[in-house]
Amino acid sequence: MSSEYSSSLRRKIDEVVARYPKKGAALLPVLHLVQREVGCISPEEERFVAQVLGLKPMKVREVVTFYTMFLRRPVGKYYLQACSNLSCSLLGAGPLLDYLQQKLGIGIGETTADGRFTLSTVECLGACEQAPCLMVNFDYHGQLDREKIDRILESLE
Amino acid sequence: MPKIFIDDRAVEVAEGLTLLQAAESVGIPIPHFCYHPAFPPEGSCRMCLVEIEGLPKLELACSTVVKEGLRVRTMSPKVVEARKSVLEFLLAEHPLDCPICDKAGECKLQDYFEEYGLFKSQFKEAKEKREKKFKLGRNLILDRERCILCTRCVRFLNEITKTEDAGILNRGIHSEVGIFESEFIDNNYSGNLAQICPVGAITDTDFRFKTRVWFLESRESICPLCSRGCNIIMDSHAGYPRTLPTRRVYRVRARQNLDVNFHWICDYGRYGYAYLDEGREDRLVWKKGDRETRLSWDKAAQILSEKIRSLVHLRKNSRIGIVLHTNLTNEELFLADRVFRKGLGVEKLFLADPPPGKGDEFLLTADRTANRRGLQEVGLPVQAPDLKALSGLDLLLIFGHYLAAGTSPSDLKNALEKVETKALFASHKSGLDGLVDFVIPVPVIAEKNGSLTNIDGRVQPFVAGLSFAGDGIAEWRALLDLARELKVEHKYFSRLASPEAIYRALRKEIPFFK
Ligand code: SF4
Ligand code: SF4
Ligand code: FES
Ligand code: FES
Repeated sequence: MSSEYSSSLRRKIDEVVARYPKKGAALLPVLHLVQREVGCISPEEERFVAQVLGLKPMKVREVVTFYTMFLRRPVGKYYLQACSNLSCSLLGAGPLLDYLQQKLGIGIGETTADGRFTLSTVECLGACEQAPCLMVNFDYHGQLDREKIDRILESLE
Repeated sequence: MPKIFIDDRAVEVAEGLTLLQAAESVGIPIPHFCYHPAFPPEGSCRMCLVEIEGLPKLELACSTVVKEGLRVRTMSPKVVEARKSVLEFLLAEHPLDCPICDKAGECKLQDYFEEYGLFKSQFKEAKEKREKKFKLGRNLILDRERCILCTRCVRFLNEITKTEDAGILNRGIHSEVGIFESEFIDNNYSGNLAQICPVGAITDTDFRFKTRVWFLESRESICPLCSRGCNIIMDSHAGYPRTLPTRRVYRVRARQNLDVNFHWICDYGRYGYAYLDEGREDRLVWKKGDRETRLSWDKAAQILSEKIRSLVHLRKNSRIGIVLHTNLTNEELFLADRVFRKGLGVEKLFLADPPPGKGDEFLLTADRTANRRGLQEVGLPVQAPDLKALSGLDLLLIFGHYLAAGTSPSDLKNALEKVETKALFASHKSGLDGLVDFVIPVPVIAEKNGSLTNIDGRVQPFVAGLSFAGDGIAEWRALLDLARELKVEHKYFSRLASPEAIYRALRKEIPFFK
């Protein structure tokens, strides 16, 4: 419920909204703020954002589903995004992705039972020089191989 | 006015028109899906590409504005090839289920394919499977495989109803029309979506799978269900008489009239057509005690005229009463005034109408009758039908079945029992049937000729779209017949043999109708 959002989030939203001539224009930055606080944009958050910005919930839904960086479901503590685009694929992203899935025991788009890891694939992370690469929450890890993946996961344990 | 050349034809067109509109205005249609005259250009379907001399690439006719001297080609080989390619893209993911699609026969995609496509599919891959029966609105089913993403539906909800209930979800190949959670489209104009969807993606549960459009006969008419007077098209199975247990009318659609209803009609008018075929009076009867005799209208007219004549003869005009309603046409109200008030000196004119409903801010008005404005302009002095006044009469002609509404049945019965002769001219059965001596079936607006004056004072003529079967009579003719039997102003009324002739008299006599 909208009353559950923290007053600091509401303050930040007010600040962002004030920067635009029309409230609705603040939709993207406000969605980012909400996602950072809540972890995802579920229908409840869509309703909240719509109400704050004076939009119809459907308008918010259109934007949320258009951009892949908005998460519609909660993800694990560590959100692993493995690049599946060209450079990474040429340098072995495919088998590494298989290895990740097998090691975590989950498929793409799934979360481990303990709620620690969510795995997804993304198109080019914009770090081809480091291919193959992976993002863990907001951190980049490049030039991956199996050992490096083991080490990263251990460090997160 | 800029002069442009369309397919080598020099034409002068209004400033600010798009090429598509300009071409249409001189009778050159340009294929399109996303363009709809009610909305600003969207430019998403690419079907309207045309060639403009001097420009390297094809341009969108729907969003290029005319400019002095433009030379446009709408049928050059390049254009025709482009149309074919656009169709090929659209059909690559299309389920090709025309045989079970309601839109078949009036589908732009199907029509354009016949005209510009006719290619063999190169598509070897399996097609994307999508939801085919998504509940989009109260009466609306969305087939996401058939949707070509023209966004007409979304724009209608954004710009016309401003309810913004639908949008495009996801992106790329995953794009689809959707609603928020299960907040279905539920407004009084939702039925327009099935009409403006250019393909069979949005279908109407009220019409779905009931018939095929090529069996239907389309007739123009005016919606009589409120005082807006929206212009409509009635689609009916022409061969079906009303007396069979089948319906004649399968669908009512909006007909464009930019001065009245634009491109739309409300759901109340769109789905409220059952009255055309249900509950209708179809036997002209004369009741004496428990006996019912079937009668021809001519015979009934003689009997009624005889009664009227004797009352007038005895100078008992004040014991004659006429109940009118505002679903009568301008012509009929005018005749009622001329025959009864001016011709026979009858003063007791009552008005009994269906109760008002709730209007919305757009088309639907609170007044649920078609011609109240017409009554005002004809200038008929009418009073409310109070039972005491009614019971003091000797003869009562009741037009419409609305008198029963709003009064307690037993009070009405007591009042009417005191009246010696009562004749009811009604299109529909009601509680009044049992209280009168004569029941005379009459046609509804869709079954007669005439004109109506809408709430804004716009006079709209119409002709019968459906035939009126059974042994009744249209009110205008009944009034003329009574005038003739009673020899009221013979010369005047004998000239008025048709609604058109009556309207001509009306125009001459009442400045408003000029
Ligand atoms: S449902 Fe129909 S009107 Fe809506 S976007 Fe699809 S094709 Fe266009
Ligand atoms: S607004 Fe009135 S006239 Fe128009 S369709 Fe609805 S009921 Fe009929
Ligand atoms: S392809 Fe993987 S980062 Fe560019
Ligand atoms: S009609 Fe021009 S792009 Fe669709």
